[in-house]
Amino acid sequence: MSTLLEVRHVSRSFHTTTAVDDISFAVQPGELLGLIGPNGAGKSTLFNLIAGVLPPSAGQILFDGKPVTGWKSHDIARIGIARTFQIPKPYRQLSVVENVMLSAFLREKSLAGARKLAETTLADVGLADYSGAPANSLTVGLLKRLEVARALAMRPKLVLFDEIMAGLTPTEVGVMTGFVAGLPARGITVIWVEHVLYAIMKTATRMVVINRGKLIAEGAPAVMARDPAVVKAYLGEEMVLA
Amino acid sequence: MSIAIPASISSRRIPVLPKRGQISWFEIVLLVISLGLVVSGIAPSLQDVILLSFLFAGLGLAWNIAGGYAGLISFGHSAFFGVGAYTSTILLLRYDISPWIGIWVGALIAAVFGSILALICARLRGPFFILSTLAFAEVVRIGALNWSSLTGGPEGLSIPPMASLAGMVFASKATYAALMLGYLVFVYGITKGLEASRFGYYLFAIRDNDDAASAAGVNPLLGRTAAMALSAALTGVGGSLFAQYFLYLDPTYVISPELSFQFALLPAVGGLGTAIGPVLGSFLITPLSELLRSHLGNAAAGLHLVIYSFGLIVVMLYFPAGLAGALNKLTRWKPFS
Repeated sequence: MSTLLEVRHVSRSFHTTTAVDDISFAVQPGELLGLIGPNGAGKSTLFNLIAGVLPPSAGQILFDGKPVTGWKSHDIARIGIARTFQIPKPYRQLSVVENVMLSAFLREKSLAGARKLAETTLADVGLADYSGAPANSLTVGLLKRLEVARALAMRPKLVLFDEIMAGLTPTEVGVMTGFVAGLPARGITVIWVEHVLYAIMKTATRMVVINRGKLIAEGAPAVMARDPAVVKAYLGEEMVLA
Repeated sequence: MSIAIPASISSRRIPVLPKRGQISWFEIVLLVISLGLVVSGIAPSLQDVILLSFLFAGLGLAWNIAGGYAGLISFGHSAFFGVGAYTSTILLLRYDISPWIGIWVGALIAAVFGSILALICARLRGPFFILSTLAFAEVVRIGALNWSSLTGGPEGLSIPPMASLAGMVFASKATYAALMLGYLVFVYGITKGLEASRFGYYLFAIRDNDDAASAAGVNPLLGRTAAMALSAALTGVGGSLFAQYFLYLDPTYVISPELSFQFALLPAVGGLGTAIGPVLGSFLITPLSELLRSHLGNAAAGLHLVIYSFGLIVVMLYFPAGLAGALNKLTRWKPFS
């Protein structure tokens, strides 16, 4: 199969700081790629470059073999890349189902069709009971699930998850991890930034580790946990995987 | 108070109180009362107040499309009102084109002005956006004042007071009241249609969170521009109707911050981002300000503004979601249900 996403020598500077420095990697369809790195490593900037929130200062991004460098985020969304926000950004004055409908409109033009797709997606992430609730009444954990539902209702080819586990209880993390692990089988490729390491280590098919804007290691999760550069930069000590 | 019932929801039960995208009994009753007021010709002395309440309800609704639905709080809408009023009047006086046509030309030109405003202010948010809209209207006003060959400058323009259907000038105030009610119902129908459409949802999304809307494939700039253009066009229609009723225009009155504030105030009092809000706001505020002005205007100049402002403060303090919000609270202590 052909490469789904290719990031070629991408850099992004803010004034004198280089947040993303000459990063290259590729994602194949059906992968569940974990993207990790310490705070301030440039993970979120990299996400924003792929999602079209920021244009890169240098380098190229290709999706489905097509250059999409510098595209606006609404155009990126339309070609099949969905993303979640690290700090949830709900439409506060709308209900939960209406929040998801707005993503569903990308696939279902009618209100009724979009509502149906939104309801299905809500049931998928376990938010069916909150469908009619106002979005501003949800707790952080539920808002994170709403972010996931909104991304998936777009029926994307590639989804970018930005710390969807932060603020969840251990039980919720378990449920969510299982859910994310099942996405590639449904034809959705995943790039996942996460601080809850045990979740991502167990689930990811491959990991990319960045530090200070540079890609420092790439490989299978178990290998990454023992890679000296990774351990030094990020983990501090060797991780023992169950 | 609308005629546009979207097909997908008309089959359901009709709710008692106003609901987004649905027609309620409350709105039907309000429309019947309004029609009754026009047809029966009750209280001829109040006919001015009644028809102005209709007109301003329509104008409040038009403002609400930008301010309430798309989150574009504008204090410059009198520019669109003026553009509409001047366009139809100039077309009538210079080229003898009937206002029935001129109104739509005015709406189109107002829409162009609205798009320009939205594009100029594309990157501005909050107070910066609001101040820019104020400045925009000032530019239009000063332009109208100085372009005397077209607008008549400070002397303004007068429409000959000869009653004719083609000229949209009527002898009876009841006819004007019907015209204004027609305008109100028209804008209300568009608002209700918007609430039940994908485009309406796009506006809600852009208002509530730009970034999230963009991540869902919605182009925020396009949405804002379209909302402002639609709002401006409908405001322009109101401007033309006002000109046909008042039969006189000058830049200082039709393009003024006072008028812009009035457009914004009615939805704010009635309930931002609701269809019924601007209507309730206008039905309360317009008669109040007209009556206060006529009763207190001579005795104590300016006192009507004091009473008026005090009333506003009370509404804002106790009903932050406006009259529509207060109406929705009724459902909580409904004895039945």
